[in-house]
Amino acid sequence: MRKIINQNTLQQALKKQGWTQSKLAAEVGVSAQSVTNWMQGEGFPRPATLLKLATLLRLSFEQLVKTHDDDRPVVAFRKKANAKTTNNHINKAAEIGMLLKPLVPYLPEMRVLRTLITSPSIEYSKLQIAVSQTRARLGLGDQAVLRYEQLIGEFSDCGAILVPVLWGAKGKHENAMHIRLPAEDVTFIFVNLDTRIEDFKFWMAHELAHVFTPDLAGKTEGEDYADAFAGSLLFPRASAEAAYAKANRRHRDNEKINELLHYAHTHSISVNTVYQRVKEYAIDAQLPPLKINDRAIHKIRNSISGPLVSEALFDPMPPSAQQYIANAENIFRSTFFHAFKQMILDKGVEFGYLQQILDLSIADAQALHEELSH
Amino acid sequence: MTLVLLDTNAYLRLAKRVRPMLGIKFGQKEYVLTILKITEDEVHKSSRLRYKFPWFDNPELAAERLAKQVRLKPDEKQLIDITQGIFRRHVVENAANYKTPPSPADCYILAFGQVRPAIVVTDDLSMHTLAKEFELDKSIWHGYEPLHKMLSGKQINKQLVVEVYEALENNGDLPKTWHDAKHTAFKKIFGSKPN
Repeated sequence: MRKIINQNTLQQALKKQGWTQSKLAAEVGVSAQSVTNWMQGEGFPRPATLLKLATLLRLSFEQLVKTHDDDRPVVAFRKKANAKTTNNHINKAAEIGMLLKPLVPYLPEMRVLRTLITSPSIEYSKLQIAVSQTRARLGLGDQAVLRYEQLIGEFSDCGAILVPVLWGAKGKHENAMHIRLPAEDVTFIFVNLDTRIEDFKFWMAHELAHVFTPDLAGKTEGEDYADAFAGSLLFPRASAEAAYAKANRRHRDNEKINELLHYAHTHSISVNTVYQRVKEYAIDAQLPPLKINDRAIHKIRNSISGPLVSEALFDPMPPSAQQYIANAENIFRSTFFHAFKQMILDKGVEFGYLQQILDLSIADAQALHEELSH
Repeated sequence: MTLVLLDTNAYLRLAKRVRPMLGIKFGQKEYVLTILKITEDEVHKSSRLRYKFPWFDNPELAAERLAKQVRLKPDEKQLIDITQGIFRRHVVENAANYKTPPSPADCYILAFGQVRPAIVVTDDLSMHTLAKEFELDKSIWHGYEPLHKMLSGKQINKQLVVEVYEALENNGDLPKTWHDAKHTAFKKIFGSKPN
């Protein structure tokens, strides 16, 4: 990892303490030349010296050290409704990213030729072109129902590793976590299977957009684009046009909503996704908006609860470690567990490593580790 | 006085049989064993640990832990935060060096040991690797070492050492370092290593 001492911070800290560089050198137990080198962005202290420097000057690692951008994992979340993302969430995800680095050599060779959306734009017509081309690649017509399984191959084709996890339906901050390692050119996408199918599909499509637009990873515009892309991929213009026409023929609010609900059920997506796409279509086509109260849509959307993806995949719940790994490999084409198995065999890594990367309980990590050690 | 801080596993391997254990001076260097509140939290949060160690909440032990808990000043807390951050960052940057990368809680214990200061007792070999990387080899012990010092300091007798070893062996919880120490540190009790 490329690191240098943050010269500005060090200078300010010396000023605050009233110390010269020589005094610092004496306190830390290094030569004056070493301090001079750090001030010029050359050389880097040994771990024990860095610790002395940090504690003497009361500076955290983040304040004292500058790291190269390419070495830092880029993280993004699909968080649960009402969950607030804090620095702790971001730092924890970045740490997981760092812990994933030793796994990269054990992954199969990644494809170099990948799909990229070169000029991502949320402008309606441009978005529809991107979506239409993606659907064509998947062999889907513009009004065909998209299943999440159809997206899975796209991830591996773009150097992204899907890692299905069982994080529970409640209590955790995120439902999906995207960790890109720029220097290694690999992306890990953790997707929580304890999620309703309609949300799961949306997140898979959202994550796919991130994979197609790596330069926007971790940026607000990247999130906006991924949301717009996901909605349009699941319910493109042709579908929105048909839904608009049908709903517009109805006079009462509840009849219009029922028409939208019909499309939502057919496509296994949220009624809000249908509604938002229909609204966008109407604006683009310069048609009058559907007269539906937004609140009514949200009320219905929140009242519907289908089965969780995990319940549909593993019946009965919970799955054994063997079932879970087989599912990850066969359904999600994940190379994560195979690579981890290689790392166990090669380096003898223990269950605590899995526990930290997958954010598991000790018991679950032990069961998975035992299965992978066979 | 030399403070000796046990991590959760080190505490759980000793506390059932070595009583009283915390807060008592022993040996020439006046070692005093202590644990942190995170051990209390770790056991209470884990159904597996609560099931495996039902004696943990025995009133006598709980009272001993509460009475001997170390209180930190704000200045010490700040230094521990900084030190923990440096340790954890080093761990994640060098994750390939460890079979189990020391967790944030592990880094906290090691940081506490540096700031207070205290010798940290752990059977987690990755923690020993981390300590070595920071040139802190002398500030970290394996779990059998306090038992050995207690024996040398006549705080416990040979019979108790045998009982602790038997219990760990019966539970399948004897770390390799403890196994090796049977015929080195505790050679007078267990004899030389059989050929």
